Amino acid sequence: MSGDMVITVGEGTCGVAAGAPEITKLLKERFPQAQFKQVGCIGMCHLEVMVEISTGGKSYLWGGLNKKNLPKVVRFHRGQGDLPESMLIRSTDQQQTERSDYLTKQTRIALRNVGQLNPISMDQFRARGGYSAIEKVIKGGMTPEQVIEEVKISSIRGRGGAGFPTATKWTFARGAPGEPKYLVCNGDEGDPGAFMDRSLLEGDPHSVVEGMLIAAYAIGASKGYAYIRAEYPLALKHFAIALDDARKAGFLGYKILGSNFSFDIKIKEGAGAFVCGEETALLASIEGQRGMPRIRPPFPAIQGVFGKPTIINNVETLANIPWILLNGGAAYAKIGTEKSRGTKVFALAGAIKRGGLVEVPMGMSIRQLLMEIGGGSASGRPLKAVQLGGPSGGCIPESMFDTIIDYDAINATGAIMGSGGMVVTDTKSCMVDLARFFLEFTQIESCGKCTFCRIGTLRMKELLTKICEGHGTLEDIDTLAELADRIKDASLCGLGQTAPNPVLTTLKYFRDEYIAHVTDKRCPGGVCKGLITHTIMQDKCTGCSICDRYCPVNAITGELKKPNTWVIDKKICINCGMCVEVCNPDAILAA
Amino acid sequence: MSKASLEATVDPEKVHGWITQIGSDSSAAVPLLQAIQSEYGYLPRKAMNLVLENTEINASQLFGVATFYAQFRLDPVGRHLIKVCHGTACHVQGADRLNTSLRHALGIVDEKEDTASNGSYTIENVACIGCCSLAPVMLIDGEAFPNLKGADAQKHLVKHAKTKGEILPGHAGEGDDQPADEKEK
Repeated sequence: MSGDMVITVGEGTCGVAAGAPEITKLLKERFPQAQFKQVGCIGMCHLEVMVEISTGGKSYLWGGLNKKNLPKVVRFHRGQGDLPESMLIRSTDQQQTERSDYLTKQTRIALRNVGQLNPISMDQFRARGGYSAIEKVIKGGMTPEQVIEEVKISSIRGRGGAGFPTATKWTFARGAPGEPKYLVCNGDEGDPGAFMDRSLLEGDPHSVVEGMLIAAYAIGASKGYAYIRAEYPLALKHFAIALDDARKAGFLGYKILGSNFSFDIKIKEGAGAFVCGEETALLASIEGQRGMPRIRPPFPAIQGVFGKPTIINNVETLANIPWILLNGGAAYAKIGTEKSRGTKVFALAGAIKRGGLVEVPMGMSIRQLLMEIGGGSASGRPLKAVQLGGPSGGCIPESMFDTIIDYDAINATGAIMGSGGMVVTDTKSCMVDLARFFLEFTQIESCGKCTFCRIGTLRMKELLTKICEGHGTLEDIDTLAELADRIKDASLCGLGQTAPNPVLTTLKYFRDEYIAHVTDKRCPGGVCKGLITHTIMQDKCTGCSICDRYCPVNAITGELKKPNTWVIDKKICINCGMCVEVCNPDAILAA
Repeated sequence: MSKASLEATVDPEKVHGWITQIGSDSSAAVPLLQAIQSEYGYLPRKAMNLVLENTEINASQLFGVATFYAQFRLDPVGRHLIKVCHGTACHVQGADRLNTSLRHALGIVDEKEDTASNGSYTIENVACIGCCSLAPVMLIDGEAFPNLKGADAQKHLVKHAKTKGEILPGHAGEGDDQPADEKEK
């Protein structure tokens, strides 16, 4: 029965975290004869664990599997049960389900292979057209100038955040004197809330290698570094395997494909510093120093790592390059808007129903992305805002969700495209708290070189904490705005220049929330601990004592099994919310 | 067992081995420290001194790097390491409560302290681990636990401690309870 069965399990970091290894083990027990394959993450993180089962010429993609519902799928494939509709994403007979919209409404170029192949199989990568772009370049006799021209036609801009035209960057380095030249792949994805680089590096490492090869050929680089965060162990592992296999196949190393072009790549493991997303800081880190940025010029394209011309490209940018060379720059430029061509990958998370990775054409509206692909609010409460671009970005309120995805349109709102992290919030979130969270992040991550960034972010964090604790004044709000301007002006690198963005945008769109904290001493989202109190509603309490057992500060007292005896001592209570979480009859009110 | 016993015994041969393998010029600083930390869980002073004596790297660079990057720590870790993700998605979905309940179970009261008094577990806050759609997330010894509430984190910890024969010095809510996300299955 299971002899011709092929079972493909999504084993990216998300899949593994959701329990993919256990599901694989159970399936192997149930279908010992089946052939098992593993693929990277297809990006439907909300439906992990995902398994595709192909048998008898038909294939079924199942999502949201766990130990409890797996038997239904097993029974169906043994011909003993009905098709469990609620877990089906799509099948040969049923291409369209509500769940499959998530995939069909996307345009996947950078993510073309992720989730479709075993990331560490050279054969499968070759079968999907892998390394044919570099073959076309080298064997087809394209000159580096022609390669740059093709990329110029595509109009692709750096996907790491700043959006600088890739072809222009390459032209600088091509013409710069000095040997050897370096190409660095920036995989130090530090923006909390973005994970497209992780997914690409672990789900399709060869495409990034191929992108690096083409870039190196274009600028004349002979040495490459892949700077990858240590927090991504699976990405590091897969990328290292891909490098070995590429060397064996003759795509990396001395005189590649019989040409005069030689290039090899070394992995540098990032040690955890957000500022290393900044070019010159990343270079300092590769050189073994503290990751502190320096003044530009000289730009890295002229004087980069070890003083040599260096180009730093983002993972997502590089993953697009082979596609552009194979299909032509014009095909890529056809997608998108006037000034922002092609597609962009976003990491959807937060209060959204269907979170995960999505790649959409530029020009789609934020509303379309959140509603049609993301499925709207997870909780049923109305959405309030979306935070775009992480700590360097800003929030866009619900009233402006019709803004289209385009570098200039998004910049006009005060937010930035950034690396593509999209954290969605609903009405039960506090925008002041969110701004405080980001300032705390940038304050810790500031390298300390520029005074305004080092001390200014600390002062902003202190003011925001003061407001969140209910001690803020209206003058504090003005001081925040003033500090924000100063920090922007007096910081050397992108970290400081953009650090105030979360505060500026929340002040712009959610000033009423700040005012509520300051004048009414009220947190509209019910988040800020200093502005809420916890009370037991006697009519609902059953006296089970579970709240007491979870209270970390012993603030709750009462007699076991006697309702009406339980009280929270507000002097001791730290408003951590543990009691609310564990209370079965929802008898604790936080307001 | 107490925290004092957590100090690592450094084998000079191993440190020499890493220097030979990775290099001794100044660009080797970060990878050398990474090698030391992945062996001992932190940077023992003795291992750092060996690096200083046997490479071109000077003390200001080595300690500068060791204190700059979030990955490195100068104090010993507990026998098991809990990493609590504090990325944006985890934050907005209540990652703070994981810390509250884990610290409660481990009896860690002092705000500056991150290791239980018996040296069993260390709690470390980490920047985004990139599983944002499964927020909030924590890792115990590298194994990920997704979609947690504060109480779930504690229950997973209790379960883990049981299998590893560790004693939790603090107060866990309900030791024998199944974590909520497994109960439904």
